[in-house]
Amino acid sequence: MTLLNVEDLKVTYATDDETVHAVNDVSFSIDEGVNYGLAGESGSGKSTVAEALLGLLPGNGTVEHGTIEFNGTDLTSLSAAERRDVLWEDIAYIPQSAMDSLDPVMSTGDQIAQAIHTHRNVTDAKARDRVRELFEIVGLDPDRIDDYPHEFSGGMRQRVTIAMALALEPDLIIADEPTTGLDVIVQDKIIDKILEIQERMDSSLLLITHEIGVIAETCDELSILYGGTVMEQGSVDNVLVNPTNPYTMGLKNSFPEIDEEDEDPVAIPGSPPNLNGEPTSCVFRDRCPFATDECATSHPDPVALPNRNHRSACHRVKEAAQMRQAADDPETWGIPDDGSADSDRGEIILETDGLKKHYEQSRSLLSKIRGEEPDYVKAVDGVSLSVRRSEILGVAGESGCGKSTLGETIALLEDPTDGELTFDGEPYEHYQNGNLQEFRRKVQIVFQDPFDSLNPRQTVRKLVGEPLTIHDYRTDETERAIVETLEKVGLTPAESFLDQYPHELSGGQRQRVAVAKALVLDPDFLICDEPASMLDVSLKVNLLNLLRGLADTEDIGIVYISHDLASLMQVSDRLAIMYLGRVIEKGEVDRIATQPKHPYTASLLSAAPEKDPTADRTRVLLDGEPPDPVDLPSGCAFAPRCPKARDACREAEPGIEETGDEGHRAACYFPERDDESTAADADGIDDGEVPASANADSVHD
Amino acid sequence: MTKFQRFLFKRLAVSILLTLVAVSIIFVVLRLLPGSPFEALVTSGNLNQEQIDEIRAMYGLDQSIGAQYVNYLTSLLTFQFGYSILRSQPVWDVLEPRLINSLILLVPALVTTAILSSALGMYAGWNRGSGLEKGSIISTTLLRSTPVFITAIFFIIVFAYNLEVVPALGMRSIRATPDGYLETFVSLDFLHHYVLPFTVAVLYYSGDFLLLARNGVVEKRGSEFLKLHRAKGLSEMEQLARAGRNSMLPILTYFTLRLGMIFQGLILLEVVFSWPGIGRELVLAIQQQDYPLVQAAVFIMALAVIIANLLADVLYAYFDPTVSTNGGSSA
Repeated sequence: MTLLNVEDLKVTYATDDETVHAVNDVSFSIDEGVNYGLAGESGSGKSTVAEALLGLLPGNGTVEHGTIEFNGTDLTSLSAAERRDVLWEDIAYIPQSAMDSLDPVMSTGDQIAQAIHTHRNVTDAKARDRVRELFEIVGLDPDRIDDYPHEFSGGMRQRVTIAMALALEPDLIIADEPTTGLDVIVQDKIIDKILEIQERMDSSLLLITHEIGVIAETCDELSILYGGTVMEQGSVDNVLVNPTNPYTMGLKNSFPEIDEEDEDPVAIPGSPPNLNGEPTSCVFRDRCPFATDECATSHPDPVALPNRNHRSACHRVKEAAQMRQAADDPETWGIPDDGSADSDRGEIILETDGLKKHYEQSRSLLSKIRGEEPDYVKAVDGVSLSVRRSEILGVAGESGCGKSTLGETIALLEDPTDGELTFDGEPYEHYQNGNLQEFRRKVQIVFQDPFDSLNPRQTVRKLVGEPLTIHDYRTDETERAIVETLEKVGLTPAESFLDQYPHELSGGQRQRVAVAKALVLDPDFLICDEPASMLDVSLKVNLLNLLRGLADTEDIGIVYISHDLASLMQVSDRLAIMYLGRVIEKGEVDRIATQPKHPYTASLLSAAPEKDPTADRTRVLLDGEPPDPVDLPSGCAFAPRCPKARDACREAEPGIEETGDEGHRAACYFPERDDESTAADADGIDDGEVPASANADSVHD
Repeated sequence: MTKFQRFLFKRLAVSILLTLVAVSIIFVVLRLLPGSPFEALVTSGNLNQEQIDEIRAMYGLDQSIGAQYVNYLTSLLTFQFGYSILRSQPVWDVLEPRLINSLILLVPALVTTAILSSALGMYAGWNRGSGLEKGSIISTTLLRSTPVFITAIFFIIVFAYNLEVVPALGMRSIRATPDGYLETFVSLDFLHHYVLPFTVAVLYYSGDFLLLARNGVVEKRGSEFLKLHRAKGLSEMEQLARAGRNSMLPILTYFTLRLGMIFQGLILLEVVFSWPGIGRELVLAIQQQDYPLVQAAVFIMALAVIIANLLADVLYAYFDPTVSTNGGSSA
């Protein structure tokens, strides 16, 4: 039976100058007990659809027309009070950013109880009992219901919001990007939890995300949105395996995958459409390589494909099979296929040996007087790495593992506490003693957030030219240097960007400006700290390809720091996996991808979702969270979470030299054996001979 | 709650230290002023040097500065404020009624305006762009930027002279001879005199609270947690309450700050309404270099501000759960 039926939904936002047509005639329906996915890049209108369903549109948003039928009643015709009664009782919501979607000055238990009290007439004691029960369901300690949000980690806060969504056993749960901003491992656990619970409650789920992989693994049906319209919809198996819409093909192509290192992901060139007017042509026409004159005249209506649950909005849907074949070839998209030309790697440009960065914890006056040893947060604790010219070294790890601190320490933005750092043959002390200016010119850093790291009041010309003035570099030909660099990062024609301000650029263009700013000084070394984490998939791939190209042609060494293993696999030559300030595995990318030695690497690899719905993936769910970096357990830092940990692991810490050879090393006493098939193997957990740590599989019920 | 106790202990220690610093500054500054309280007596020529020395010795002013300072500190910290030089009365007997008069006028006014204007400000912020918002901002800013004596005189002209509904001056009718505070303040006559200055004080303070509350709610309005509250099915007013609760801290800070400063009285208001408050008394005392009176008054004011700050810290810890843990480890 149909639970939710959305028909011709149109939502507009009124802004000062114009009307933004965010959602244009979107229709879809969700049956009872079905998981439905809504996929799309940012600006595709997917969150607006969710807000319209919930009646949470901001003040300037209006539902122009269309019906939202839930259980037979049209939600749009209800009064505000009736609408409120439906909320949470029948439709619950898991918000996007767990970090700030909980009320900071209200205890988590009270917030859940508040949802219960609003809709049910129950005593406080009963509500509290229910909250305790819910905490248990989502895997949180029931004794913590009086704790405030800031006392929980990001993943645990998301569990609280899930518990809240379950409080009244709703018929439909709308989850808006429930895992964005969480680490892969946490993301995997949260998705697993949502699925497990939803199975038990027998409710329907509307999952909104830009991660096609997550939808492929969790949903039965999906709609792919672009520019506020449905491009393709139907059962996940049909749409993702045999897409009939050029956009879906492009989107699917641009997802980097871990085990396909031969195939470079293909980006969709261009940027999302401007939605200031009613769409007159196909919204994807500007970026579509198959566009014809017909596409310019009208946006295609979804066409149902015969004999299967599959609809596609494309004028050329009949030629889908040919298009699919052509879409795999990068040249179709106007991207020259220069092959994966493995350039020769040059000499070592940067080397660290036992590099450490410790932060002293603040102490009370009393313990300072007593002369007590201060506690240290060992953000980077003995990291030995080397990077050659023309090489990209990927640094991967969960948040809090010290990878950003490592980047900042290498860039000498932080003073190393101990260890050696050699750049271009000179120790770092050489640069700190008066040669810092030279170092700053040769080593550049690109930061995570392109929205914050560019001065909003400067034009592109000023932003990119500023380093030239500071370093007095090519000052006689500033303009030419700027134009050259902009073209190098793919902002062509460069002249048209010179006088623009950051807010006039798209996210991808902004990050390119940030990269241009780093490259304008012709550096020898580039440190990229999560440069793509805020970008949409198609733009992310663009940036990765750009960096890859730079490493190949410009003879510079690059350190690429990210938590996204798939994109690291794609861009790097070698990889270093970090856990709690230490490198626990390093080596050539393909060797790590196919035969990870350290159990932590194995679980990281297995946590990445698969975009192919037919592929089966065994989850290795790591229990718990990384331990407190101040008070590390003795022995291997990973032992408390390791499914294979034995006594030896808890007694002494394995060094990186423990196993492997020059090309691939891991700090583990019991590395995954080479004959074990792949990382995704969960056997380790069930292996009877290995005493798993006490709580290793409490995640499984 | 050991963490909270440690936090409280720290704040207390800091407050005591601050008090000591404040009273020392008062002492030094007053001694730096040219002249002395007996200047007038000397210049009048009625006293000979011997008599002057005798008077100075009586007040302990012949001792060294260091001895005077120690004397001053021990007396002050045991709340012995000494004798007013010009009034020949114990200082506390002079100050106490004035202080009470000021407080009885300003504390209720401040509390009233804090509650009313904050609530109004939150409501205005929630309905951003509405006529109510614009109107309330304009009128309170106007009241805030007009000097309080202008507003006061305007009110006196309208309500006392033209409409003749309330008396223009004073705290009690001149014929009343009340005995003790209870008789003074609990009477219709007092209420009659009280209404006008009270209203002016309320209006004067209202602008700050209104703007603070409005800005706080405007800032919180688009936040994710309110969206989740809304999705839970909370009504508009319940959501507003949560937004307000989350923007309490600046209001709280401002309230306690003002509360501490109330001990200085509101000089202009007291003058216009001939309200026998502490502000007026202080101005007179400074003019006449009445050391003990000024010292005591400033001490009380400084103490009030410091205690109010301590109160703010403690209230913070209560109202914002993130404060007690963070604040406990730093500082």
